[in-house]
Amino acid sequence: MSVETLSAPTTRPYLTSLLSAVVNPIMALAIAGILGALLVMALGENPFEVYWLLISGSLAGIPNILVTLQMMTPLLFTGLAVAISFRAGLANIGAEGQMLVGALCAGIVGFAVDLPALLHVPLCIAAAFAGGMAWAAVPAFLRVKFGVNELVVCLMMNPIALLLTGYFATHVLKAPGPTNKLPDVLPSAKLSTFSFYSQVNTGLILALVLCVVLAIINARTVRGFEWKIIGLSPKFAYYGGIDVPKRALNVFLLSGGVAGLAGAEQVMGQFGAYYDNFSPGYGFDGIAVAMLAQFHPIGVIFSAFLFGALNSGSGVLQMMTGLTKHLVQVLQFIVVLVLAAKISWDWLTHFKKPSEITMRPSRSSTTSET
Amino acid sequence: MASDTSKHVVEMRNIVKRFGNFTAIHNANITIGRGEIHALVGENGAGKSTLMNVLYGLLPRTEGDVLLRGKSVHFSTPNDAIAQGIGMVHQHFKLAPSFTVAENIVLGAEPTLAMGRLNMRRAETETGELSKRFGLDLDPRAMVGSLSVGLRQRVEILKTLYRKAEVLVFDEPTAVLTPQETRELFATMRQLAQSGHSIIFITHKLREVLAVSDRISVMKQGEIVATIDNKDVTAQEIASLMVGRSVLLRVAKDEAKPGGRTMLNIRNLTALGERGENAVHKLSLSVRSGEIVGLAGVQGNGQDELVECIAGLRQPAGGKIEICDKPLGATPADNRALGLAYVPADRGGVGLSLQSSIWENMTVGHLPKFKRGQFLSIGDARARADELIKRYDVRGATLDKAAGSLSGGNQQKVQIARELSREDGSLIIAEQPSQGVDIGAIESIHRILVEMRDAGKAVFVISADLDEIFSISDRILVIYRGQIVADLKASDATQEEVGRYMGGLETPIVDTGASVKEPARVC
Amino acid sequence: MDIVEVLYSAVRVSTPLVYAAMGGLLTYQAGMLNIALDGFMIVAAFAGIATAFATGSLELALIAAVISSVLLAALMATFTFRFKADIFIAGIAVTFLAYGLTALLLKGVLGEDGVFMSNTIPRFSPIVLPFIADIPVLGRILSGHTILVYVAYLFIPVIAFALYSTRWGLRVRMVGEAPEAAAAAGVKVTSLKFQTMLLSGALCGFGGAYLSLAYVSLFANQMTAERGLIALAAIFFAKGRPLPTALVALLFGLATALSVRLPQVTGAAPQLLQLIPYVVTVLALVIVGVRTARASNKHGAWKFALD
Repeated sequence: MSVETLSAPTTRPYLTSLLSAVVNPIMALAIAGILGALLVMALGENPFEVYWLLISGSLAGIPNILVTLQMMTPLLFTGLAVAISFRAGLANIGAEGQMLVGALCAGIVGFAVDLPALLHVPLCIAAAFAGGMAWAAVPAFLRVKFGVNELVVCLMMNPIALLLTGYFATHVLKAPGPTNKLPDVLPSAKLSTFSFYSQVNTGLILALVLCVVLAIINARTVRGFEWKIIGLSPKFAYYGGIDVPKRALNVFLLSGGVAGLAGAEQVMGQFGAYYDNFSPGYGFDGIAVAMLAQFHPIGVIFSAFLFGALNSGSGVLQMMTGLTKHLVQVLQFIVVLVLAAKISWDWLTHFKKPSEITMRPSRSSTTSET
Repeated sequence: MASDTSKHVVEMRNIVKRFGNFTAIHNANITIGRGEIHALVGENGAGKSTLMNVLYGLLPRTEGDVLLRGKSVHFSTPNDAIAQGIGMVHQHFKLAPSFTVAENIVLGAEPTLAMGRLNMRRAETETGELSKRFGLDLDPRAMVGSLSVGLRQRVEILKTLYRKAEVLVFDEPTAVLTPQETRELFATMRQLAQSGHSIIFITHKLREVLAVSDRISVMKQGEIVATIDNKDVTAQEIASLMVGRSVLLRVAKDEAKPGGRTMLNIRNLTALGERGENAVHKLSLSVRSGEIVGLAGVQGNGQDELVECIAGLRQPAGGKIEICDKPLGATPADNRALGLAYVPADRGGVGLSLQSSIWENMTVGHLPKFKRGQFLSIGDARARADELIKRYDVRGATLDKAAGSLSGGNQQKVQIARELSREDGSLIIAEQPSQGVDIGAIESIHRILVEMRDAGKAVFVISADLDEIFSISDRILVIYRGQIVADLKASDATQEEVGRYMGGLETPIVDTGASVKEPARVC
Repeated sequence: MDIVEVLYSAVRVSTPLVYAAMGGLLTYQAGMLNIALDGFMIVAAFAGIATAFATGSLELALIAAVISSVLLAALMATFTFRFKADIFIAGIAVTFLAYGLTALLLKGVLGEDGVFMSNTIPRFSPIVLPFIADIPVLGRILSGHTILVYVAYLFIPVIAFALYSTRWGLRVRMVGEAPEAAAAAGVKVTSLKFQTMLLSGALCGFGGAYLSLAYVSLFANQMTAERGLIALAAIFFAKGRPLPTALVALLFGLATALSVRLPQVTGAAPQLLQLIPYVVTVLALVIVGVRTARASNKHGAWKFALD
């Protein structure tokens, strides 16, 4: 009888584990909300007023909700992209750059190729996917082949993407006129919008479908199973006959492609052309979206809606208060920080310091008894 | 030995240690006299290390008293214990390989100059003097990474002596040593005892206990069941105190009927160890269907590298491996397809994903079977896992429980169930199958392996435990410095004979003529 | 293009990289990859300029910069060690938290959106080094920088000394290579890691203050421009040894200095030249990767997880 048996956590029943999957994010949100309120107070604003502005600005009335849905769309793609990679143990935090490159590709194919809409739209989307994939290929390849830390490479690839796309938008393919942008995409490459109030477009539907498809892939397919095992224990996966390097590369590329789709939606739906520096950081928001969703594709829908709403509500902050939309970024990354810590659920249920939960006596006792 | 309490350097009274609901130590009492070598023996999991960790301040005790030189002490960290003159020579050496001997020895008690500057010169002289005084010859400036295992252990010992330890706890010190090194260690231990140090010697090897100790305390299931003078006792008596089962029980099995087919054929295999040395050197062996071949050897003689090569987790540097007459594949997936079933020693790192559920752990490696188009038939996979849990008697398991929540023995059963339930698995490699496994489970694991043999499969068992090797093998191979030095029929071999081969004291059966490179070492 | 002028500016440009690299190197030696260097620097840059604007004192500004950055490092260390957060995710969170917070405070405290500058902010004045200034070419490169530049280069030998000649340094390096050995010898592993993280924060505090008060005299959102990551690449490249790391940082600085000067000469698009430091960094990472992969492939063991 070894000691590790007893100190290891006993598995909770299914219901509790589902509950804990929801409780952790809610606690993180609550902590972020409280800290955010303190920060707002420190800056001389009334937190209730500010939060009310955020909520009413995003959810009160159909027009506001439609704007929220519009703001949610890119976050669905980037959040999904980050979630896919993290679930497989790969930290693709380069969604920002992959989205920019995807957007550029969609923008180029959108204006330079003349095709009927039925072909043009898929072609642009495919171009964006390929662009995102190509951009993800650099960190993916370096990680899988050479073990280079993908976070650092991803973070470096983001400014490179921004500068490179900027070069296209200001020099190579710049549209005539004062704005730094590519020429407008042809009408045949436009995603149809379905509202007068906002730019919400069929890209939203594509994103939602993608979330559902990935949820099914994760839960029901061999690939989804393999990704999960790789994420938890790559050596075990490899030993068990899973082609870890190949799968990891594929997941990373898929993740990049999905991030590229965020760019397609922006160019083909929201703006109608590639604009230089169009992203306020959707790729980075995706990290928070994925963390809050606990890397579950359906969870991504909820958390993208939440952060989309905050982003959309934050527009009025600038006008009505002395704050900026960066309040949302602060809230987002408090959420990430809190979720990264293994605090919440275990603390609540065990009333223990996490160190006592994670530090099992088994390590010293079992290894030396063997 | 003296019974006068004041002469006892250490006295542990009524120690109880609980982890949650589990009591690891029940009411243990032990006394250690000055200048005494006191052996603490017991089976795996008897609580020897837990008790010593309580003494050393690594684990807080639940109840009881620890008296040091008659005074009650309470150590909350090893630092407190070290400061009071208690030192631990760990089984897994706690050394930094790219630092010098002197740096490793003085770490934590470094001689300094003004402004926190290191006084390396003094560290080196002091280390040198210390090593001379106790006859533990070492170059203070040598890199620890370049030392042999025996020398590294000297560094560990010197570390405790440098901190003026009077009580030294040796945790399974001989597990990684050759017989020659073991003899030197015992001489050192005696010399230390003569100079007034007290030594606690944790082991489960009875011959060693009798060879070196003054008194012997036997632990069983968290209790000290007896403390005896060495001269009053025989190995058989200690053995019967130690275990609940009869010792050295050989699994009841018929004579092997090896078939003609060679399932594992290795020719001139060379593999490099972590430091780029030839851990396996032109090694050849074969395992036929219908036999259990045991590979015996002192840890670190190339077993790990050999098995990793067969499993596809390490690239061989030369030679060839054939599984069921086909050359080894490029990945573990290929080797599985050839018929390899591998039960690794490293359950947490290789053989299981401890955070994943039991059904997931049992499904990995069988994915093709449950593949329906691109989809995974989760229903079938779970049904099979459920059946395996029952068939292999994995206690406390439910499908959705995390594998890490099982005991070591039951984790092992999950691995074994997964690997041995493969219909197409015709070569079974079991690495340390009983490591960290409770006694009841060991027997059932051995029985399963014998069943596999009787079903016509080839079974290759790698174990550091000679008892285990003798218990189940039909044929015993001995590995020494990366080569097979003996190939013996189990029924004719004696443990003494195998022990001599393990220590490199017999001439290898195959003399390759090549000079044996630096042996593989563990740190 | 004047070579001497480019080299002079390379010294300037490298300064924040040297600070960040020295800070990152300490945690690297203690076995941690700290990817929050940018976050540490940005809060310091903001705290520095806000304090300088409010008080008019550069000394107070420097102190505020260092303190704020150390506090952020303490937050990161607390989450990593106390709450067992993954150090990479904690690093990402802390960095973006810092970006967001400074941008928010820029509006909330200084009332500006995106960029802040003011004529009332004092500046560090250039120092003419005695003797060295008179050396023909070298004098023009080395002399005439602000005090923070010299302090940065002074930190290189100080840190080398601390790591390789003191008891503290031996322990830090042991913790990095063999934490279990260190713990067994009674070294307080977590405490030492915590200390290196705080020192990392302090050094980045200097780096951030340099950015907003000496390198330029303004604050802009995300003005650190991935310098922390470039510093990390320098650390990888030089395997964490202080002097080589600083030399690699200098090389990266030279690349940047060239990218700033070249447009005047070549007329190439600014974006392409701004790419240079990033591309150089990625290439450095590639080289490091190939090098490590070769070294670990030598014995052929399969490995996928990062160390």
